[in-house]
Amino acid sequence: MNEYEERLRSWVGRELSVPKPGQDPVNVPMIRHWVEAMADPNPVYLDEEAARATGRDGIVAPASMMQAWTMRGYAATVNPRPGAGDGMAELIALLDEGGYTSVVATDSEFEFHRELVPGDHVSAGEVVEAISPEKNTALGAGRFITTVRTYRDQDGEVVAVQRWRTLRFRPKAPQERPEAPQERPEAPQERPEAPQEREKPRALRPRPAVNLDNAFWFEAAREHRLVVQRCAACKALRHPPGPCCPQCGSFDWDTVDSAGDGHVYSYVVNHHPPHPAFDMPYIVAVVELAEGTRLITNLTGVAPEEVEIGMPVVLEWLEADPELTLPVFRPAAPRKER
Amino acid sequence: MNPNIRAGDELPPLKVPPISRTTLALYAGASGDHNPMHIDLDVARSAGLDDVFAHGMLSMAYLGRLLTGWTRQENIRALAVRFTAVTPLYAEPVCTGTVTAIEDGAAHLDVAVTLADGTTTLRGTAVVDLPAGREDDR
Repeated sequence: MNEYEERLRSWVGRELSVPKPGQDPVNVPMIRHWVEAMADPNPVYLDEEAARATGRDGIVAPASMMQAWTMRGYAATVNPRPGAGDGMAELIALLDEGGYTSVVATDSEFEFHRELVPGDHVSAGEVVEAISPEKNTALGAGRFITTVRTYRDQDGEVVAVQRWRTLRFRPKAPQERPEAPQERPEAPQERPEAPQEREKPRALRPRPAVNLDNAFWFEAAREHRLVVQRCAACKALRHPPGPCCPQCGSFDWDTVDSAGDGHVYSYVVNHHPPHPAFDMPYIVAVVELAEGTRLITNLTGVAPEEVEIGMPVVLEWLEADPELTLPVFRPAAPRKER
Repeated sequence: MNPNIRAGDELPPLKVPPISRTTLALYAGASGDHNPMHIDLDVARSAGLDDVFAHGMLSMAYLGRLLTGWTRQENIRALAVRFTAVTPLYAEPVCTGTVTAIEDGAAHLDVAVTLADGTTTLRGTAVVDLPAGREDDR
């Protein structure tokens, strides 16, 4: 078993998300929206009298809503803020590293223990049950990831268990795709709670011009190390990489690892021209590292209007595609909550 | 629940009206699954698709309706599906179920969602308790 395989396997049995109560307890307005969306005529979800006539204490929630009680909401969906110990984000990053950047849901298996009623407050925890060896599928080579979500009520009692399987796959290049893709074996559907993930490969970023003098820097980046070139003679740091020390002229060099702390030295916001690899607008910044060198990079996790010169930033790795890993920066301190 | 349920019994099929953009917009809001791939044509196109398509869990919820149209919801012990094909816009899903066995006071069913062109979009199984002496209301 190679090292990557072992790292993947180490996830089996681990908890991906700590059980956290849903944003809202089970409530009638959300049930009403659901019943309208589903055009469900069953009266036991909204009509107290009809529900009591069936021998219940009152209305009950549709069982199919189970997942809805634990969803994070739109804002958190489009602007996720993975906190410390966010296993899901870590596992996805590891899968991305293996090139498994696309995802489809393949199976959903529910066991129901009891009906939910208004006032119940549902939490869900998720544990990895299995990670398959790489399989060849019609969509591309991939791995099936099976997780088990346990839904509990406010008293910790299990109300439902959901086994959830996705295929994380390495998308085939366009010329490898079948001519007529009507018959797909799996629906290209994302995990409902992680829609920020890439569903299909988007356009690739422009390739950096890698050469003998700077290849070490991009290779380190693939290992998530931000390195700075250092003159072996006079110890001056320099960036971008080059063959010769601009201070003393020596051709001897080594590198130091940056701690990844810095501040915004300058920046621009690009609105035009649009490029299919980028969400417009995007921020191009010159970040000055604590070590003293500056690099051109992108800022993430911050709106263009919130960027300030001097703003402290920290390193984050962008797995742009299987061949390209780039350092980007996000604000060091949490931004003001509204 | 009718005590005369037998293997081979077919559930009354549930025919769903054509999937519209409105259906998907309402479902996105109701389910909390706001993946723009299902509701935003621009996003779907930017991902190389011709159009948005239905949430897989929407079809699973229709299977839930198939079952609650036949039994009390609290009798449903399990519902397990495999997503076998996408549900495009304007599709008219039909949910079907067949009792395959009665074991230990529970009915085991095969369930499926099929489109007019014969595509099966979901296929799975369900387990439904058959409590004795319960009225056949929902």
